[in-house]
Amino acid sequence: MSRRYDSRTTIFSPEGRLYQVEYAMEAIGHAGTCLGILASDGIVLAAEKRNTNKLLDEISFSEKIYKLHDDMACSVAGITSDANVLTNQLRLFAQRHLLQYGEPIPCEQLVATLCDIKQAYTQFGGKRPFGVSILYVGWDKHHGFQLYQSDPSGNYGGWKATCIGNNSSAAVSMLKQEYKEGETNLKQALDLSIKVLSKTLDTNKLTADKVEIATLTRENNVTCIRILPTSEMEALVKKFEEEEAKAEAEKKKDKPSS
Amino acid sequence: MSIMSYNGGAIMAMRGKDCVAIAADRRFGIQAQTVSMDFDKIFEMGPRLYIGLAGLATDIQTVSERLKFRVNLYELRENRRIKPKTLLSVVSNLLYERRFGPYFIEPVIAGIDPLTLEPYVASCDLIGCPMVAKDFAVSGTCSEQMYGMCESLWVEDMTPDQLFEAISQALMNSVDRDALSGWGAIVHIIERDRVTTKTLKTRMD
Repeated sequence: MSRRYDSRTTIFSPEGRLYQVEYAMEAIGHAGTCLGILASDGIVLAAEKRNTNKLLDEISFSEKIYKLHDDMACSVAGITSDANVLTNQLRLFAQRHLLQYGEPIPCEQLVATLCDIKQAYTQFGGKRPFGVSILYVGWDKHHGFQLYQSDPSGNYGGWKATCIGNNSSAAVSMLKQEYKEGETNLKQALDLSIKVLSKTLDTNKLTADKVEIATLTRENNVTCIRILPTSEMEALVKKFEEEEAKAEAEKKKDKPSS
Repeated sequence: MSIMSYNGGAIMAMRGKDCVAIAADRRFGIQAQTVSMDFDKIFEMGPRLYIGLAGLATDIQTVSERLKFRVNLYELRENRRIKPKTLLSVVSNLLYERRFGPYFIEPVIAGIDPLTLEPYVASCDLIGCPMVAKDFAVSGTCSEQMYGMCESLWVEDMTPDQLFEAISQALMNSVDRDALSGWGAIVHIIERDRVTTKTLKTRMD
């Protein structure tokens, strides 16, 4: 029955739903996982790399993590071509703000501006919505470190830790249990992101080449957006595996053998 | 009254051996009245790339901001630092877009290519005609004096210290012969691994 209401974005269904928007979110649920964790001294952004074909040529900066301006970066889940269009728009907005006001755009304003554009595609024009959810990490002088998430409906929210893409609900519930507000520093956030990603990845084992991690920190009043090199990634994965092995051994010790 | 001499100013850039230097006076004046002695006319567009703008002060500020807009987007999209000669093309394009209502500025670019590490000095006229120089580039209300001083003092393959002396003497003596330029000077010496900035105390008149 709902078939009648899903071909055009500009109509509601009788139950008050926008099917095109929901279908767009479906598309994102199949995309590579991205998660963000806010720490006291920085933010971690981790993304699952799906394009691990050996024939693919080396990518310049990153496959899923985009720098937006000096103080903000984002990661996307969904249709990559839609994501490229949106990140280009985000970069233009940020520069126009800088040109007009002489200071960097506050994080929430940039997110809200893009979300207004995304919302327009759900109300008029007859074009389909963008099939991308975006996680934004940034710093501004008003609110410090911030993490935002936006989706195809144009809705956005500020988060302490969140996840988008494949198995995101499992990741979010894990983060809800493990994230300690006010007590997490960058190192702990990195460890936690590896732990959560290893549970949500499709493949059995987490390796450094399947994941991309970026951190945003402030050093000497300058924002530093850094993609972790493979060596650091491998060290983190190794540390995680050692802790897992230890936890397994502890469990075995506690259980008396029958 | 010429628009280019409403605010006054002087910019000079020189090429040395594996280094470049760019210098400017610091006066901001409105015709005969001096308003400020710490007006910046040289702007950083990259770790070893500077552009100096001479001419109408409002256009100096507007063009530097619009140029930074374009350079920021370039660096985000290309994911690398802009080369000096590409910056020259961007400036030339920006200025020619206003061919029939131009920005009243004449830019001077000095920098070191991020990959080849070659020193680079270039300038443009107010509608974007690019001119790459192998020795020096000057622009401002005392450009004739600056051409004379540079021609006399510039030699090929100067070391950073020699280059600093040459550009400082050339700029100082040129602006001292110009009523609308002076009130201090700032010099940036750009080498492969560092940039040194020095301020000069000139005749404060």
